[in-house]
Amino acid sequence: MASIDLDKMLTKIKSTQWALSDIDWDAPGADLITDEQWPKLKEFMADLMWIEHVGARAFAALAKKAPDDTLRQIYTYFHAEEQRHANAEMALMKRWGMLDGDEIPEPNINLRIVIEWLDRFADEMPLYVLGTVVPMLEIALDGALCTFLLDTVKDPVCHQAFERINDDESRHLGVGFTVMEMQGRGKTFIGATKMLAPLMDPRLILGIASYAPLLNKMRDNVIAMGLPEEKLYKAMKKFERIGGRTEDGRRNPWFQIIKYHGRFVTNRSQRAYHVPVDGLVKLTNMVPRRALPAVPSWVKELTWQPTATH
Amino acid sequence: MTESTAKKKPAPRKAATRKRATAAKKAAAKRKPARNTQPVKPVSVLIVGAGFAGLGMAIRLKQAGIDDFVILERASAVGGTWRDNQYPGAACDIPSNLYSYSFAPNPDWSRSFSGSEEILGYIHHLVAEFDLEKHIRFEKNVADLSFDEKSGVWTATTDKKETFAGRAAIMAQGPLSNCSFPAITGIDDFQGHKIHSARWDHDYDFRGKRVAVIGTGASGIQIIPELVKTAGHVKVFQRTPGWVLPRPDFATPAWNKALFRKLPASQQAMRNLLYWTHESMALAVIWNSPLTRIAERVARLHLRRQVKDRWLRRQLTPDFTIGCKRVLVSNDYYPALQKDNAKLITWPIARISEKGVRTVEGIEHQVDCIVFATGFDVSHSGTPFPVKGRGGRVLGDEWQGGAQAYKSINVSGYPNLFMTFGPNSGPGHNSALVYMESQLDYAVKGIEKILKDDLKMLDVKEGVQRRHNKAIQKRLARTNWNSGCKSWYLTEDGFNATMYPGFATQYAAQMAEFEERDYETV
Ligand SMILES: Cc1cc2nc3c(=O)[nH]c(=O)nc-3n(C[C@H](O)[C@H](O)[C@H](O)COP(=O)(O)OP(=O)(O)OC[C@H]3O[C@@H](n4cnc5c(N)ncnc54)[C@H](O)[C@@H]3O)c2cc1C
Ligand SMILES: [Fe+2]
Ligand SMILES: [Fe+2]
Repeated sequence: MASIDLDKMLTKIKSTQWALSDIDWDAPGADLITDEQWPKLKEFMADLMWIEHVGARAFAALAKKAPDDTLRQIYTYFHAEEQRHANAEMALMKRWGMLDGDEIPEPNINLRIVIEWLDRFADEMPLYVLGTVVPMLEIALDGALCTFLLDTVKDPVCHQAFERINDDESRHLGVGFTVMEMQGRGKTFIGATKMLAPLMDPRLILGIASYAPLLNKMRDNVIAMGLPEEKLYKAMKKFERIGGRTEDGRRNPWFQIIKYHGRFVTNRSQRAYHVPVDGLVKLTNMVPRRALPAVPSWVKELTWQPTATH
Repeated sequence: MTESTAKKKPAPRKAATRKRATAAKKAAAKRKPARNTQPVKPVSVLIVGAGFAGLGMAIRLKQAGIDDFVILERASAVGGTWRDNQYPGAACDIPSNLYSYSFAPNPDWSRSFSGSEEILGYIHHLVAEFDLEKHIRFEKNVADLSFDEKSGVWTATTDKKETFAGRAAIMAQGPLSNCSFPAITGIDDFQGHKIHSARWDHDYDFRGKRVAVIGTGASGIQIIPELVKTAGHVKVFQRTPGWVLPRPDFATPAWNKALFRKLPASQQAMRNLLYWTHESMALAVIWNSPLTRIAERVARLHLRRQVKDRWLRRQLTPDFTIGCKRVLVSNDYYPALQKDNAKLITWPIARISEKGVRTVEGIEHQVDCIVFATGFDVSHSGTPFPVKGRGGRVLGDEWQGGAQAYKSINVSGYPNLFMTFGPNSGPGHNSALVYMESQLDYAVKGIEKILKDDLKMLDVKEGVQRRHNKAIQKRLARTNWNSGCKSWYLTEDGFNATMYPGFATQYAAQMAEFEERDYETV
């Protein structure tokens, strides 16, 4: 994977779009979900679709911070594409009878906190912070969760949907790593001290405090579904490998931070990390829903319906 | 002259306008017998276009005692912009007292910002008042304009191969007179109704209909509040939000009209006040100054006051410096978006399908009708029809890298040709007609010179033009228009061939001097 030409990428993105109505959500095969799979899959899909949605919001923030018009447009498209993934995953849930009527699934508490954080602070984060965190999440999703899902679920419609989703994701990753390298490159290189300054920013500390438990919680969920832990870790190693393949990439201090964080997450013997973070997961689970403010209105744009008639 | 104009009331109503249009059409039909067979004696001035510019030119020529001119208009009625833009809510966004000719004031403007119909009424009134109808040849779509060096004559050839000749030519075909549906993938697949804002379909009944509006520029934000009142549901597709300032719109009280009528000087005083208010806006809009920040703050406050939801506010907040694109003014746009039957959609459009608009979040928004408020086909680097000058040189070729002229009005190598709204004459902060008046008077001086000295050619010197443009581009580099946003002011490569980088007063000063030594005369 060499650095890509972003202008060409934008043209390609614009010319290869898909819509929910390209898929026949009523095609046979829904009954291939086993009774044993169903409850865990329901929880997994709900998490997955929320993570897509959260990723969408992060791209919206990136679009505001983009250094040029091409990248701004790319991020604007990615924002919408992640929303499309969430919508498509909800359509699958609907197909499998996992939605309560027409309701969108409840986000778990860690997600709620991340949503809250994104809504308040994401737009204020510099490009290099979200620009590194997002590829990390994406690679975890792309490389682990989605492949795992396809290994376990036999429904052909699910495969159709994820074939398209994965096509999008590979572009997200390509752009993500290219931007990370740009951030580490000579002329645009901002300087490590300046780039690391946000670490002391309480807004970012709050962000880390909400992001770390989410990762651990996700890990718990996929393991509950039967995903071998190593698969997740292998995916995160991929982040390390691709992100660090060039001098420029390695020079980006945020790549280094996220890389080390990834190592912590994937190494259960790092008790100094996991004990407090798992503690945070437990703690957040005790937060009563009522304590959280109303969901921001961007959340209400989710829909599983391929067509909107009014 | 101005007083007598002032006493008559313009007939702004649509029925009157329509009747006039058909009458004009009939008259045009009667006049048809071809003029293309024998070579005709050239008139003094050939004018292309019967909008504000072409008609204003005619009036100023008449007032200078030049009566020997012909106006070629491709449509069957006068009015240009205001004949074509009849969408609901269409209105000027510069106060009418300034968006009208100072040599033909109208004391009866019903509102501070008059609607399209009333402005069209004013234009019809100009035609009647100055007896211009007999000069206009309707349904003459100019397809070529060529200069013959030997005779010093411009010949306009229409798409039906009729020819008209004149010693001087005025290109007043309007900067925003051509429009087309945008090149969105799948647009031809759509089975519902399509309307372009500048070619409104008055017969389409919006009641109960699901409507998509594409575009949130100057036209879009005027149409949307009106559609929301009548249509069943309105979905607004926005690519980039613009800056919106509140609009001090009010009906003119009766006493005010009476005052303007009795005391024309009071109307002139009002016009002056409006003029200087707008001039001061230049400081905010054209250059990045402390006033720019203040204008942005006013716009943000306007948004904050009218939109409570944080995400919607974010969607509506521009990410470019105010003034980089046309500043919008509206009091009812934001409230309209928040009505139960309206929705703002900021997902990029992926394509248009048989039943509606597909956006990138994967959803097909099904509608009965799509309204395209997508603006105009603006040519920065070409001409709307071939223009051939000395030695057969072609203006469109020379302009490939971006249009250039001398003082926006003449181009070297194209003698006796004057353009209204030429390169770098666009106002960002003041009435287009203020700029137009200086252009018209400059053209009159040039034409007087051609006729008085019986010149074959009055051609601006190339070096003079080059120096002028160098200075203009240097000044443009420091403006907000060139600050990085994409707008119709710029070419694909970011060259600004549209706007004038300065105050209207500066522009007027530039146009007030007609320097003979700038020109080669033959
Ligand atoms: C919706 C809208 C709102 C606007 N509001 C304002 C405002 O508030 N303030 C402001 O200052 N400006 C405003 N403008 C800008 C406006 O275009 C100018 O102010 C002015 O009306 C332009 O006049 P014109 O005569 O140059 O061009 P037009 O009015 O476009 O007239 C050109 C005429 O030439 C004819 N023509 C074109 N090509 C040919 C051809 N090849 N052969 C023969 N005839 C031809 C056309 O049919 C037309 O009648 C607005 C524009 C639009 C579209
Ligand atoms: Fe995704
Ligand atoms: Fe992604």
